[in-house]
Amino acid sequence: MGLRVLDAVELPIRYEANIAEVRRSARALAQSRGFDSFATAALTTAASELARNVWVHGGGGSAMVEDLSDGQRSGVRMTFRDSGPGMSAADLERALAGGFSTARSLGLGLSGTRRLVDEFAVDTRPGGGTVVVITKWTRF
Amino acid sequence: MGGPIPILKVGPNLLTTIHVELTDSIAEVFQQDVLRAIERTGAGGLVIDISVLEEVDTYVARVLADTGRMAALMGTRSVLVGMRPEVAATLVRMGYGMEGVETALDVDRGIARLASLKENR
Amino acid sequence: MAHDASQFSVDERELQSRRAFFELTDDDLRRLAALRPFAERHLDDITEAFYELLLGHLETRRFFPDDATVRRVKAMQRQYFLGLFDGRCDLAYAQNRLRVGAAHERIGMAPKWYIGAYRRYLGLILDRVFEEVGDPVEARAAYQSVQKLVAFDMSLALDSYIDANLQTLGRHQAAIRELSTPVIRVHDQVLLLPLIGTIDSQRAEQVMETVLMRITEEKAEVIIIDIAGVPVVDTEVADHLLKTTAAVRLLGARTILTGITAQVARTIIQLGVDISAMPTRARLADGIELALSIVGKTIAPKAV
Repeated sequence: MGLRVLDAVELPIRYEANIAEVRRSARALAQSRGFDSFATAALTTAASELARNVWVHGGGGSAMVEDLSDGQRSGVRMTFRDSGPGMSAADLERALAGGFSTARSLGLGLSGTRRLVDEFAVDTRPGGGTVVVITKWTRF
Repeated sequence: MGGPIPILKVGPNLLTTIHVELTDSIAEVFQQDVLRAIERTGAGGLVIDISVLEEVDTYVARVLADTGRMAALMGTRSVLVGMRPEVAATLVRMGYGMEGVETALDVDRGIARLASLKENR
Repeated sequence: MAHDASQFSVDERELQSRRAFFELTDDDLRRLAALRPFAERHLDDITEAFYELLLGHLETRRFFPDDATVRRVKAMQRQYFLGLFDGRCDLAYAQNRLRVGAAHERIGMAPKWYIGAYRRYLGLILDRVFEEVGDPVEARAAYQSVQKLVAFDMSLALDSYIDANLQTLGRHQAAIRELSTPVIRVHDQVLLLPLIGTIDSQRAEQVMETVLMRITEEKAEVIIIDIAGVPVVDTEVADHLLKTTAAVRLLGARTILTGITAQVARTIIQLGVDISAMPTRARLADGIELALSIVGKTIAPKAV
């Protein structure tokens, strides 16, 4: 059975308070879809890291929160978009390899976030903004 | 003392329970409040209780760890207590083990830890 | 039947929508009720012919180990057969049919066997209906009604089979999880996790989560992880253990690693894995002693 999007909400990230709103939205959806407490904390924390990246490094943008089903499991997909400076391929590689030194919180933010979710994709280029998509599924 | 998180003097130590969701700016105000309280009271130890927090991202974790390091520069030992299992698992999965930060299961044991740290100094 | 393995149930709305899709109308039910005398006449020969199929194949014969079982299921089968000609298809009827699938799941009879058995049923009924109902139009209509209800029954049996099967799977997984992470309280504030078997990353995550939950629940100061029963300790396993140790430390507790065999000690050093974050002991007994000393207790010989 294919992937179905049951519901989608787009949240703006323009003020610092929006980071907490994105976090709460992720938590509420994960809990209502039966994520256990560890998976909920992982998704919520990943959302927090990425929302902060949008606000701090991307100069604001948005987060889309989607309620997914693949027929067996429930999932939450989040898409973080900013129109900030973006990253070169080399920068991205360094950021994904982890380490603090590169872009301060951005480094650990991306590499750490990747380890909290089931699917992770980044689309970025210098001057072209950054899009990060993460998905987390219920365990079964 | 501008922030929403109260910092109490209990015996020789400062005790603070973070009872609100930590946004970035609340976290920063909290750090300033704690350092000013140390300056004012000359407390020997600091217990930060985070048992209410359902998530701690790397930014907040760093503010908490830095607060402890800053307190140490002022001669005050600190202990982070009550971290939830989900928070610990998430931070470790992200590769953020908060090395060098003293921890304890709850406030009582945090205070006991401070006492033993003082003895071993 | 002691318990129903299936939680699957049908409400009025589901019943109606399913009946609509199978085009099972009140006319069909009336037609079936009118066939009741026919059904009673053929109850025995249809039941016997039905079991000829089931007992004639090795794969299905094993479900009927002795004569007593055969007599019992034949009696049930007669009830089932007559039920088709009661002229009703309400919630009680659906609930009864749901039990068929759950019962088959319980004895491990796969759907292919009972779908095949249903086929024989229809064949037996078809022959007799056309023999006895003179008017071919009427006979066709009567047979169609039987076919609709049998298909309807099959759909319920399949749904409850699948549901019961999922629950069996879930129970097995929970049991495996429980067995694979048995955290034991050996003393006030001291927990022990004897790890047995291979540690892959999925299991490592479970281990970490269970350990953290139990430490918080029990307010335990120390957890001893004994790896004597882990066949292979490579860098990946060592890494998982170190992560668990780091998370345990964040809670304010400590980890002790025991059961380090000579082979494991060699591997760890040869691989260059730094496990200095965990105190280690070869023997579990030494680990327990160390744990007790951490919580301020000692093991002393009994004074005589």
